[in-house]
Amino acid sequence: MIVVTGASKGLGRAICERLKSKNIEVFGLARDVSDLSFPGMSCDVSSYKEVKSIAQHLKREGINVDGLINAAGIASMNLAITTPPEVSERIIRTNLLGTIFCCQIFAPFLIRNKIGNIINFSTIAVALGLKGESVYAASKAGVEGFTRSFAREMADFSVNVNCIAPGPIDTNLLKGLTASQIAKIIAQQIIPRQYTPDTISDLVELLLDKRSASLSGQVLHVGGV
Amino acid sequence: MKVFLSSISIYPLLAMELKIIVFNVIVSLLENKTIEVSDETPLIGEGGLLDSMKLVELSLKLEDAATDLGFEFDWTSDAAMSRSRGMFRTAGALAAEFIAQSER
Repeated sequence: MIVVTGASKGLGRAICERLKSKNIEVFGLARDVSDLSFPGMSCDVSSYKEVKSIAQHLKREGINVDGLINAAGIASMNLAITTPPEVSERIIRTNLLGTIFCCQIFAPFLIRNKIGNIINFSTIAVALGLKGESVYAASKAGVEGFTRSFAREMADFSVNVNCIAPGPIDTNLLKGLTASQIAKIIAQQIIPRQYTPDTISDLVELLLDKRSASLSGQVLHVGGV
Repeated sequence: MKVFLSSISIYPLLAMELKIIVFNVIVSLLENKTIEVSDETPLIGEGGLLDSMKLVELSLKLEDAATDLGFEFDWTSDAAMSRSRGMFRTAGALAAEFIAQSER
């Protein structure tokens, strides 16, 4: 079973639906799980206690977790100096600490199996240093750094850890951006095209495939940078 | 009186059994099974028996053993990795922590 965070909407939801359509069992985590079409539990990934208790529940139920996809994330487009401290804290807690907590807590399932995949999510904002996304980019730069180091720690157990860094994908996270801002970002990609949640689901499938077993500690830039 | 007698006779035996479980798990992870593990045997740091990979395996095996015994073993406390006071500094310290957590 693959645990997917941020499963109620956006990329997380699309990934869950894709894996489900390929008969891969998914277990979704999200703050609101009222309308999931797959198994899941309510969880705030920024709470170590909540994530831990979900892992304990899965262990007690004898559920075998062989993959983790950390798609939960929040964004707030704002200049750093006008971002309220509570917002900065919330972004770092959800995006960075949430990813770290889920990796720490679910990795033991994969270590026991001596096989598995962890996929984290970054953003093109890190590579491009996008104006107005400093705190968001900082949280995701942390995810990239964590992914590279954690991949080395997990390599001893044949667990691969990679990171997908999409450009502007049409989800709720883009709410704060205008069409021209989005076009400007896309123009900086090597392939200047706006991709969809489907493209990201393709990449997830690729990374979960045995034929990607030689890839770990990598940041895959969707569209190229 | 009977309860008192059983509590003093069973408890030390249980603690000793838990200690043996911990020491056996440590030995099971070593290439050289003839190494004698004592309370003072260092697990990590200079002269330690375990590398980082073995330390993770030890933690998971003890977690599984604890689950089988009906309690939860948490190795992620702040003090877990401290060389001077951490539970992994010696085999004896680890066994003591394992026993302590079984009683919580």
